[in-house]
Amino acid sequence: MTALKTLMVLALSLALGVTGVAYGQAVKNPDTLVKVKFGDPESLDPAYAYDTSSSEQILWHVYETLVFFNGGSTGQFVPMLATEVPTVANGGISKDGKTYRFKLREGVKFHDGTPMTAEDVKYSLLRFMFMDRDGGPSWILLAPILGEEGTRDEKGVLRTDLFTKADQAIKTSGNTISITLNKPFAPFLSIMAEWSMVVNKKWAIAQGDWNGTAAGLARLNNPKKPEDTALFSKANGTGPFKLVQWDRQSRQTILERNDNYWRKPAALRRVIYRVVEDFGPRRLMLQQGDADIVDVNRTEQSQVENLPGVRVLPDLPQLVTQGIYMNLNVDTTGGNPDVGSGRLDGNGVPVDFFADINVRRGVAQAFDYQTAIRDCYRGYATLGNGPVPKGMFGYNPNGKWYATDPAKAAAAFREARGGQVWNNGFKFTVAFNSGNTTRQCLAQVMKANLEALNPKFKVDVRGVTWAQYLSLYRQKKLPMWIIGWAADFPDADNFASPFMHSSGTYPSAQSYKNPEADKLIEQGRTETDTAKRRAIYFKLQEIAFNDAHTLYFYPVKLTVMRSWVRGWYNNPAFFGEYMYTMSKQ
Amino acid sequence: MASFIARRMLLLPVVAFGVTLLIFALLQFLAPEMRAAAFITNPNQLTALDAIIKKYGLDQPVYVQYWNWLREVFSGNLGWSQTARLPVRAAIGAFFPATLELTIYAFVPIMLLGVWLGTAAAVHRDRFIDHLSRVFSISFRSLPSFVWGLLILMILYGRMNWFPPGRLSLEADLFVRDPSRFQLHTNLLTLDALLNGQLWIFFDALRHLMGPVLTLTMVSIALLVRITRSSMLEVLRQDYVRTARAKGLGEDVVIDKHARKNALIPVITLSSLTFVGLLGGVVITETIFNFPGIGRWGAFAAQQLDIPGVTGFAMFVAGLTVLGNLGADILYAYFDPRIRLQ
Amino acid sequence: MGILTLATRSLRQHQAQTRSLAVLGGALAAGALIIPPLRERFLQHPFAVAGFLVLVLFVVAFWTIPSDFTRRMRKNPLSLAGFTLIVLFIALAILAPLLAPTPSSSRDPYLIPQEGFATDPRPPRPGHPFGTTEGQYDLYYGIVWGTRTALRVSMVVILISVVIGLALGGVSGYYGGRLDEAIMRITDIFLAFPSLILAVVVVAVLGRSLTNVMIAIALVNWPIYARLLRGDILTVRGRDFVEAAKAMGGGDVRIITKHIVPNAIYPFLVFTTLDVGLIVLTAAALSFLGLGAEVGYADWGMLINLSRNWILGAPGNPFAYWYVLIFPGAAIFLFVLGWNLLGDAVRDILDPRLRGAG
Repeated sequence: MTALKTLMVLALSLALGVTGVAYGQAVKNPDTLVKVKFGDPESLDPAYAYDTSSSEQILWHVYETLVFFNGGSTGQFVPMLATEVPTVANGGISKDGKTYRFKLREGVKFHDGTPMTAEDVKYSLLRFMFMDRDGGPSWILLAPILGEEGTRDEKGVLRTDLFTKADQAIKTSGNTISITLNKPFAPFLSIMAEWSMVVNKKWAIAQGDWNGTAAGLARLNNPKKPEDTALFSKANGTGPFKLVQWDRQSRQTILERNDNYWRKPAALRRVIYRVVEDFGPRRLMLQQGDADIVDVNRTEQSQVENLPGVRVLPDLPQLVTQGIYMNLNVDTTGGNPDVGSGRLDGNGVPVDFFADINVRRGVAQAFDYQTAIRDCYRGYATLGNGPVPKGMFGYNPNGKWYATDPAKAAAAFREARGGQVWNNGFKFTVAFNSGNTTRQCLAQVMKANLEALNPKFKVDVRGVTWAQYLSLYRQKKLPMWIIGWAADFPDADNFASPFMHSSGTYPSAQSYKNPEADKLIEQGRTETDTAKRRAIYFKLQEIAFNDAHTLYFYPVKLTVMRSWVRGWYNNPAFFGEYMYTMSKQ
Repeated sequence: MASFIARRMLLLPVVAFGVTLLIFALLQFLAPEMRAAAFITNPNQLTALDAIIKKYGLDQPVYVQYWNWLREVFSGNLGWSQTARLPVRAAIGAFFPATLELTIYAFVPIMLLGVWLGTAAAVHRDRFIDHLSRVFSISFRSLPSFVWGLLILMILYGRMNWFPPGRLSLEADLFVRDPSRFQLHTNLLTLDALLNGQLWIFFDALRHLMGPVLTLTMVSIALLVRITRSSMLEVLRQDYVRTARAKGLGEDVVIDKHARKNALIPVITLSSLTFVGLLGGVVITETIFNFPGIGRWGAFAAQQLDIPGVTGFAMFVAGLTVLGNLGADILYAYFDPRIRLQ
Repeated sequence: MGILTLATRSLRQHQAQTRSLAVLGGALAAGALIIPPLRERFLQHPFAVAGFLVLVLFVVAFWTIPSDFTRRMRKNPLSLAGFTLIVLFIALAILAPLLAPTPSSSRDPYLIPQEGFATDPRPPRPGHPFGTTEGQYDLYYGIVWGTRTALRVSMVVILISVVIGLALGGVSGYYGGRLDEAIMRITDIFLAFPSLILAVVVVAVLGRSLTNVMIAIALVNWPIYARLLRGDILTVRGRDFVEAAKAMGGGDVRIITKHIVPNAIYPFLVFTTLDVGLIVLTAAALSFLGLGAEVGYADWGMLINLSRNWILGAPGNPFAYWYVLIFPGAAIFLFVLGWNLLGDAVRDILDPRLRGAG
């Protein structure tokens, strides 16, 4: 009994004792910026990381690239570790468009004090290419430099001949590094702005990392666990912040200011990334000033608006295209509940239901884009007219897209399969990955719109776990599904290929193949003449419109921060915030 | 007694491996692509699914996968937890101290309050306090624990700013991480704070513990109240209590000295089971309060189909459960002479 | 048939009560038939109405037949409250089509109708007495039909658990020996898991759906039943009447069903009653972890999960979205509370140790 009383008294005094401290609107932790996110990074190794959570923590903070984006632009560059941006005019790019020469900045030091050399850059690029883990980012450099997608043959054996090739393609002389591409590749500079992170060769080797020779490649190539790479949780870059610790137990990464930075040291002394999965505590931390920037889903936006001392930026451009995909050849082996009976008898759809252009156009004209954008995106998205998102080179602002018109949609469905679709009706499932409320909402709008056309049209909406979603999608079992695509690097090719090339991520699951599109995409990659290149992507947009195998949306980004955060700016190509320019006041 | 304990100890690995067998049996139902999902973080990686499946042998028959896993275990390696971003053994080592600390702190009010309420209810049977304790304990366990947790978070952090989520505040956290100022001996932060003589860290850690402790107390206390109450009721009817009363001893003395002591036997037994029960209870609580313990990891690993993570977590918890049950049996035998003699 | 005769017999015994009930029932029936929209609804759902009448008869019969059980229950206001709550929920489940009619455009009554698709919940208003939650799902409809889901989930899970538990526990307790040892080790394995984790793995493996939720909970639940029954059987087995039956050469199955099960069934019943609440809570916890019923399916756990983002309210107004949690929360709370109260009462009534004391 007495013990209990003591406990209660203790708890009460504790509670009362601390309340006074926490309130007040003064800047909390003025030299430390805390960002609270919903996902852990996968690895802090620049050659392994291929997700925004990982990249946002190291890219341009710990590691730097040869060139950088100019302000908020994705197509203009400023020098970073190089002294100037190579162009054909200044001789940095060869006449044939294949060789890029970067002269390196003098006096740049790594965090341990050793000066950066061209040898470090070469080592970093080769390391990035030959780490090549399954599902990793290495193809981004492999494709333009070697013309290969991977470093292993069919049997999974490392191809050492590729290393010899790469070793010759990347050359150093003094403090200049030159990279020769397999074929001219228009977006190479945007790749360099994101994927040329420079690591410290000597230090890395001392950590037991790749020794820089062909003989050592076997250990570097395709690591089994993220932890197997020496730079998994350690870093030694040139950036304005040093990696202090990635604590996987308390799920946070701590960066500290690099006082020997080659420019003026950053204003922030510390940057901390914390992971809090639940929105509730995340919002409360923002409200209490314990967090300066938090991840907020569009769904949760109304709960951070009008919070005192909080700034909500609801419509930042980003390089994301969300698609609603129609499957032209659904797989039904072993039964497939998502196509119902599998026949056009009013209780299912045949496997090639969406192969009929009239069906696809019917869908595209039945869908109520306005409602979808208003309700599913809170109005923060634009209707897409093709894969290339708004604001990016290759986007056609005058490109045509279907208007919502139930009458025209009905007409298209009447024409489909000689009127059978209209007379018999159909039933199929629209799938989304459960938990993603935006996609769920899009699916429901689709259901409502199609069912309103004809009482015989039936659409089911089904949410499946991410794991199931991947599995079903890969097996081509989903007749219609919804998923997004974020840029690997800011270039139109990175959108045209996955959405329209027959071997691309989505067309290969949709069984969509248009030889003309394939040819145009391949041309677009190598075309260095800007005007001609733009024309190619405009033409691709037209094909996207005519074929209507996918409906597109360009959602914008939502960022939420305390209003005491200063110096922040957005670039659509960023994976997170660029902390160097930021401070708290 | 010794042979009984030995037998139970022998069962420990049997149960732990049974648990792993169960999980691998469940794997039978899983398409390789679904497991590969644990390795995919963005849609841009979808094209590499085949390679990922091959790399990790996810398409092999389940018994082959189990055999490979077993071989790893016997070489002292529990595998890599994709969700913790840590080797499984390191993950257990990293997450368990926080959970242990939380469990210890939750254990105290549950036992004290539970025994007190249970005794009071029995002594004043069918009177106000009995009904009140019953209403409370039943109400507490009639709402999902996550609703309680969210309500506590909303009021005591959002509104009052008393008990924040997480394990330490930012300043305390940075302080604790600095080896020149703070030594981590046990990873039980309150204890370490005292060992380092940093009282403010102690209070900071305690503040963060309060929310989850309150939630756990609310959902776990009912059982204890009930057991204490019925055990107390039974004791109150025993002859020696009647004798004590007949001797003219005061009611307080009778209850404190004679009745409660004996009524506590099943309660003490229950204590180690409560401890084990709390280990299950932390799954939801830790998730809500963002408390970096083993429960949150276990739930996350299960959701993400991080099979090495789930198996390692389950084996560990199974081991603890078996130990806890063993503890209960030993305590029971120790306190109840009738059992000891058998 | 038995119920009806019992009911009539008891009705005769309780004239006064019966008369008032009859008057009330008659008035309700007359009212229902006179008011046209109500009449229409009644006629549209004859089965629901018939089911409701059977329930009323059953409750009246149960309540008016004098028994030790009801006498004790009457004395305890808490158990009475529990009983009332459960009867109300069952009535709600039966009358769901009348109380919350399914829109004609809907193909499945368990899919909650949506009013638009907007994210932010909207407060109670005409047509939506409880408001609409995230995604504009009607809360009233979801809660009414969710009663059916809750009852179905708990009944199915208990049925599966009891069947497996009876079979394995019975075999284990009756035959003993190695078989017993083996079965008990299997239950050890299942019980060594935090049940929620095992359930999460099962649903994650099988895929998210209500059926799989039921399978998962049954899978983590049966060992408790098996153990319980085994323990009961062990205590009953040694008793004289079982030995006598054995001596007389009764078959095993006959002895189990005729002698052991009836004597071991009471603690089992208590546990089952308490378990209903636990099952619904576990299902809700699975929903919380994103592994429950499909979004939009009439299920309380799903509705609570939808409320998760809104519990903290709007800035400056912490209770702006009170209705998204309060209504489904209250439904689940009252339902589980009802079963818990009843279970506690049944235990107290059946527990011989507590009988007659105090």
